[in-house]
Amino acid sequence: MEQKIVDHLFRHHYGKMVAILTQYFGLAHIETIEDAVQDTFIKATLKWRKQIPEYPEAWLTKVAKNRTIDLLRSIKAEKNRNEENLESGFSEEINELFLDHEIEDSQLRMIFVACHPKLKPNEQIAFALKTISGFSTKEIAAALLSKEDTITKRLHRARQSIVKNNLQFEFPAPNEVYERLLSVMHVIYLTFNEGFHSTNSKQLIREDLCGEALRLCKLLLKKEKFRSGSMYALFALLCYHASRLQTKTNTSNEIVAIREQDRSKWFLPLIQMGHSAMNTAMDYDEVSIYHYEAAIAAEHVKATTFENTDWKTILVLYQKLQQLQPSHLHLLNIATVKLQLNKFESVSKILESLAEVDLGQRAYLYYGCYAEYFERRGDTILAIIYLNKAIAKTSNSLEKNYLKKKMEKLQGSNESFKS
Amino acid sequence: MKDFMMIFIGADYQELGLSPEELQNRMGKWFAWGQKMETQGILKGGEALTPNIKRVIGQDRAVSDGPFADSKEIIGGYYTVSAESAEAVVEIAQDYPDYDLGGTVEIREIMVFDN
Repeated sequence: MEQKIVDHLFRHHYGKMVAILTQYFGLAHIETIEDAVQDTFIKATLKWRKQIPEYPEAWLTKVAKNRTIDLLRSIKAEKNRNEENLESGFSEEINELFLDHEIEDSQLRMIFVACHPKLKPNEQIAFALKTISGFSTKEIAAALLSKEDTITKRLHRARQSIVKNNLQFEFPAPNEVYERLLSVMHVIYLTFNEGFHSTNSKQLIREDLCGEALRLCKLLLKKEKFRSGSMYALFALLCYHASRLQTKTNTSNEIVAIREQDRSKWFLPLIQMGHSAMNTAMDYDEVSIYHYEAAIAAEHVKATTFENTDWKTILVLYQKLQQLQPSHLHLLNIATVKLQLNKFESVSKILESLAEVDLGQRAYLYYGCYAEYFERRGDTILAIIYLNKAIAKTSNSLEKNYLKKKMEKLQGSNESFKS
Repeated sequence: MKDFMMIFIGADYQELGLSPEELQNRMGKWFAWGQKMETQGILKGGEALTPNIKRVIGQDRAVSDGPFADSKEIIGGYYTVSAESAEAVVEIAQDYPDYDLGGTVEIREIMVFDN
C-alpha cells in the first residue's frame, strides 16, 4: 500500500512534543525531554521503514503521550515516590496538554525561554533553532555561519544556564516583553533565511523553514501583547520573500536568478498579505531593520520586470539599513545595487574595502559580485577567475551549478578559453 | 534463485545526531526501497537492530557491554533477499540510502545444505 507522510511532519512535531513535555515536566528536564523526543523519531524512522502507520501524526502523538508517562515514571522513581501516585486523573491531564491551543501556548513559552537574557545571544538562537524548530547542530551551524563544534558547545551552555538559573517555563514580565521580542524576531528572521538561502546541499529552498518562521511570526501576532511595528514589518518581509519561493528554482531544481524569475508566478496572496502587514506596521511609531528590509523586498515584488526595478530607491533603503545596523553583508548588497546603477567606481571601492573572511559562509556572494563587476566592465578573464573563486567557496550544489553555468556562458563568449 | 543477506554497517542515526527532518527524508528513502523490493518480490525479510550491544568473549565467557570502539563497524540491520547472483544483489544495494553517511552494505550468500 502506498502511504504518503505529511511533508515535514517530523520537524513540526519535534517542536510541539518538546514544548508540551516541557510544559508538563518543567525546564529542568529539558535535556532528558529532547533526548526522549529524538529517540521517538529514530524509533519511528526504523519502524516506518517497513510499514508506515495509517495515521502517522496520531501515531506520533500517541507515542509522545506514552513518552510523557514513561518520563514521569522515571522522574518520580528518581524522587523515590510511590508509583501508585500515578492515578487515572493524570492521563486526562496529559490529554489536555495535547489540545491545539495548549500546544500553541507551550510553543510560545518556549520561544520566550529561548530568548531569555540569561542566555547569550548566540546561545539563544542555537537553542531556539534546536528546540523549537528541530534543527540538527549541522543545520544550525550552516544557518549561523559557524562550526558544528561551536554550536554543540552553545547548546550545552544554554541548557546549563537554564538549569543553573532555574528558569521557569513562563512568559516574560510585561516590562521585559519588548526587549525579549527583539531576540525573538531575530531568531525568526534567521530561521527564515536558513530556508530562503539554504546552505544545505541539494535542496535549495527549505520551504518548511520559511513556513516555520511565518508560522511563529503569525503565532506571536495572534496575541495582542506581542504585536509591534517591527513584528508586522518582519511578517511583511517574510511574506514578500516567501511569495517568490516557487520561482527561485525551475523544474530541474536549478537556481533561477531574480533577473530571470517568472514574475507572473510570484504568489499574489502572500504579496497582498505583505502589503497589509506593512500598512499595519506603519501605524506604529517605530523603525527597525525589518522595516527597511521589507521595503526593499516590496520594491522587488512591485517591479514588473527586472529592468524596471527602482534601484535608486533600493539603494537609499540599503544605505539607511547600513546606518541603522552596519554589516558587511549590507555593504555587499549596496555594491550589488550600485552595479545595477553602473556606479563602477563606487562598487570597486566597496569591494576593495571588504575581505573574504568578512562574509563567512557567504564569501561566494562576495566573489560573485566581483565577477559580475568585471563582466560588466568587459573583463571576461577576470570575471571567470572570480567566478572560479565563488565556486570554490560554496558548499551548496545548486549554487555551485548555477555559478558553473554562468561560467560556461562566459567562457563561450571568450575565445581565449576555447582550445 | 539464491538467498542473500544485505547487512547494513555503520551510519547510526543516533550517533550522527540527524535532525527530525533528515530522519523523515531518510525514512522515506528506506520505505521506497523496501516497497520497490517488495513489488519485485525479492524481499524476504529483515530487521533493524538497536545499537545496544553485549558481547560474550573467550573461554571464561567474559561479558562486555558497549559502546565499542568504532560505531562505523556496528551492524544496524539487515534484509534478506532472493536473487540470481551476488552481482544482482549489488545492483539492488545501489538504492541503500545511507552511503553518504559512511554506511556500508555487506552482501553475503546464505549457505544451503544438501539433504
